[in-house]
Amino acid sequence: MKDIEQYLRENAPEMPDEGQFMIETNARLNAVEGIKKTVDGERRNGRIALIVALAAGLVLGCVITLLVLFMPAPSAADSSAFTKALEALQDKQGFLYGAIAVFAVALGIVSLRKKESVL
Amino acid sequence: MTRERFISEVRACQGRLRRFLASLCGDAALADDLAQEALVRAYVSSDRFIGNFKAWVFRIAYNCFIDNLRRVPAPSVSLESPEALHVADGAASDSSFRHEELRRALTKIPEKERTVIVLHYFEDLPVKDIASIMQIPAGTVKYHLSVGRDHLKQHIRL
Repeated sequence: MKDIEQYLRENAPEMPDEGQFMIETNARLNAVEGIKKTVDGERRNGRIALIVALAAGLVLGCVITLLVLFMPAPSAADSSAFTKALEALQDKQGFLYGAIAVFAVALGIVSLRKKESVL
Repeated sequence: MTRERFISEVRACQGRLRRFLASLCGDAALADDLAQEALVRAYVSSDRFIGNFKAWVFRIAYNCFIDNLRRVPAPSVSLESPEALHVADGAASDSSFRHEELRRALTKIPEKERTVIVLHYFEDLPVKDIASIMQIPAGTVKYHLSVGRDHLKQHIRL
């Protein structure tokens, strides 16, 4: 048993000079660093796009709600199709807000995914 | 971990890492390629690293070796076959091995036995560290060491 153990310990392979290996490793690390920076930048942009989309959705939702709330009450005379549609919207405000929020989130996610798939 | 610290850690352990991989695959050029792949993987996740750098890099390198084995399966030709003997006679021996016989013997034993033998005898690592690198119990490492030695003895003239 000692023979084989001694033989193995005495015959461990020796590797050639590290110089070339370190140069190649550094080159690979530089490439990785470049990719890392690009990916980080794209992720940051994606997050900003998501926040902007959410904010835009919120503002849009508020504006539409205010419009609906502050519209003068329609008289029987000008009860046009548009007024009827607005009345219907006013009845379903909750759904409207929800739809706007979902749209904004979806828009943000889609823009984020698009940027990631480009990479 | 900063780039500078990573490089200094790599510089300290690259020789042993390359020797480990060269002993596993029996090819110094492929070993350097796998070592670089392992170091790139390590660098990408170095932000999350805590603990023993050398053991961590060795574990990644071992996984790279296993991945490479799966990607490029070993040739179906037996090492004892006339084709293999012809190639061995014609090809230049790997200069990193003082004894071609040992290199060839190592390629003939199973991958797990080869790994524990290399880590224990070439890298002087204790069983506990080998178990951590290979993610297997210490008892299994001892078993592979014992069986591996027996298998090697069949291929080496002492």
